Amino acid sequence: MWTGTINFNNRIGPQHLHMAVRLPTEFMDPVPGQFVMIRPAGGGGTLLSRPLSIYQFVRNQDHVILELLYRVVGHGTELLSQLTRAAEVNILGPLGRGFRIDKTPSHRILLAGGMGVAPITFLADYLEGRLAGKYELKICLGAKSCAEIVGMERIKGMQGLLNIATDDGSLGSCGLVTDLLPNFTQGCDPGKTMIFACGPMAMLKTLAEQLAPTGIPCQVSIEERMACGVGACLGCAVTVHDRRGKRVQKSVCKDGPVFNIEDICWDQI
Amino acid sequence: MMNKNDYNKQGKLAVEIGALKLKNPVMTASGTFGYGEEYAPYVDLNRLGAIIVKGLSLKPRHGNPSPRIMETPAGMLNAIGLQNVGVKSFIRDKLPYLRQFDTAIIANVYGETIEEYLRVSEILTKADGVHALEINVSCPNVKKGGVAFGTDPDMVAEVTKRVKGATDLPVIVKLSPNVTDIAVMAKAAEAAGADAVSLINTITGMSVDVEKRIPHLKNVTGGLSGPAIKPIALRMVWQVAAQIHIPVIGVGGIMSAPDALEFLIVGARAIQVGTANFIDPRATMNIIEGIEAYMKRHHVVAMDDLVGSLRI
Ligand SMILES: Cc1cc2nc3c(=O)[nH]c(=O)nc-3n(C[C@H](O)[C@H](O)[C@H](O)COP(=O)(O)O)c2cc1C
Ligand code: FES
Repeated sequence: MWTGTINFNNRIGPQHLHMAVRLPTEFMDPVPGQFVMIRPAGGGGTLLSRPLSIYQFVRNQDHVILELLYRVVGHGTELLSQLTRAAEVNILGPLGRGFRIDKTPSHRILLAGGMGVAPITFLADYLEGRLAGKYELKICLGAKSCAEIVGMERIKGMQGLLNIATDDGSLGSCGLVTDLLPNFTQGCDPGKTMIFACGPMAMLKTLAEQLAPTGIPCQVSIEERMACGVGACLGCAVTVHDRRGKRVQKSVCKDGPVFNIEDICWDQI
Repeated sequence: MMNKNDYNKQGKLAVEIGALKLKNPVMTASGTFGYGEEYAPYVDLNRLGAIIVKGLSLKPRHGNPSPRIMETPAGMLNAIGLQNVGVKSFIRDKLPYLRQFDTAIIANVYGETIEEYLRVSEILTKADGVHALEINVSCPNVKKGGVAFGTDPDMVAEVTKRVKGATDLPVIVKLSPNVTDIAVMAKAAEAAGADAVSLINTITGMSVDVEKRIPHLKNVTGGLSGPAIKPIALRMVWQVAAQIHIPVIGVGGIMSAPDALEFLIVGARAIQVGTANFIDPRATMNIIEGIEAYMKRHHVVAMDDLVGSLRI
């Protein structure tokens, strides 16, 4: 477990914050899709840490900076939101299995609903660094309204075509982020395409139904309540099909949070 | 200057639970430490007194639907429902890894029927590398077995007696706090031949999302653990220790060395750390070091001088 120091913890939306934490250099380089368990140092009112997806990671000479993008949803995130510069946090991580980045697909579609923008932005950035120019990239962001589309500036600075959908039409097209998808998947070669998605379970379930007939591969990062974050408590179970098609329980924290969309038993969600 | 580990070597922290010899009284509680391996990156497993693995049943169990956990004031509710790989897969896939450590491995045993408790116990007894059995008659999150056995003294006695007859390993009976008088259950286990009792398992509770008017747990109710239950666990350990002669293992809300010392002082021969592992994977290490420091500061030379030393 690491002790980090807050560099900034800025409000960027109605309930949305952007936090940067300074950590020792021993903290390992994360892969997009991985997460950390975080809580105010010593707890400060909560018991368990909260899982937050990694938004950005920068390695410097004598420290690293970990950035997180999160929304206040309960007591734990509420306490995190009150921390200010120089406050300390306890962090466990990087944890879990992130997105698998295969060199072959030349067409990548990134889909983020709500706070799913955090790992999706990290992924877009990572792809740009590793595979510059060798692929076609489309990024789709969705949220309830314009005010809840966060982190857009950073994505705008990256290569790739940005598309936005909001439930109320206050920014981009009116509707769900999954409605944007057919424009991009029509006539594409499933063997050369990979979709990466993160967002609310309802969005991912819709996506699963939409993609089933197309054969386009998709990796999704899912959320579940967590206690340990390391596969010990079995609190974060998800039902998936194993290689033989049998239903088995997996831990979102250790076996995920990224899964192939067709492996998840969506009827259980 | 004495090195930290010298205390272990000199055995000042050593305790005996019947025939089971531990290098220190700190164990990991069942269900909170996986099969050990999950915490190996954070903890030197060799330094633990014992590792108690997740409850094992005869066949693998899927457990309950999610959400299975919820934080509550100073605690958490869980309704895992005893998801586990099953005893055979445990022996094949998990035990070989654990064998390399110089730490006692205790298997937590669960059954829906007395026959299942017996079968699982027999299979574990034949396996190489299991040092004791902890019989879980106290899981509140399963429909059959578990706490159904732990709330009836005759059933506690029956399960204990039958398991004792089926194994030569030390048998620890893990008791439920969801009873009127836990000492009655402890005495039943003792009379039936248990080598030790451990208490407490979680206390049943629930929590509601008022916006949606739904329970936070899919299973509706769950077991409460963490600091919230410590005073209750401590009181129960104190009561039980005063009434039986076999060792008592204290569990419930132990987060720090002072918490662990409270349990030892009221009469626990050893202690288990559960929920604390989730919050700080190194909690057990800090507790061992804290107990060592305390013994040094108070010139306590053996655990026996500490256990049950409460002054009233
Ligand atoms: C997530 C979770 C899973 C548990 N699973 C088991 C189990 O399989 N068998 C068992 O005997 N107790 C189980 N317990 C109970 C603990 O071993 C322990 O008795 C209880 O949590 C109280 O200790 P604590 O407050 O230190 O956590 C579980 C507890 C938690 C929180
Ligand atoms: S949070 Fe404990 S197993 Fe995933």
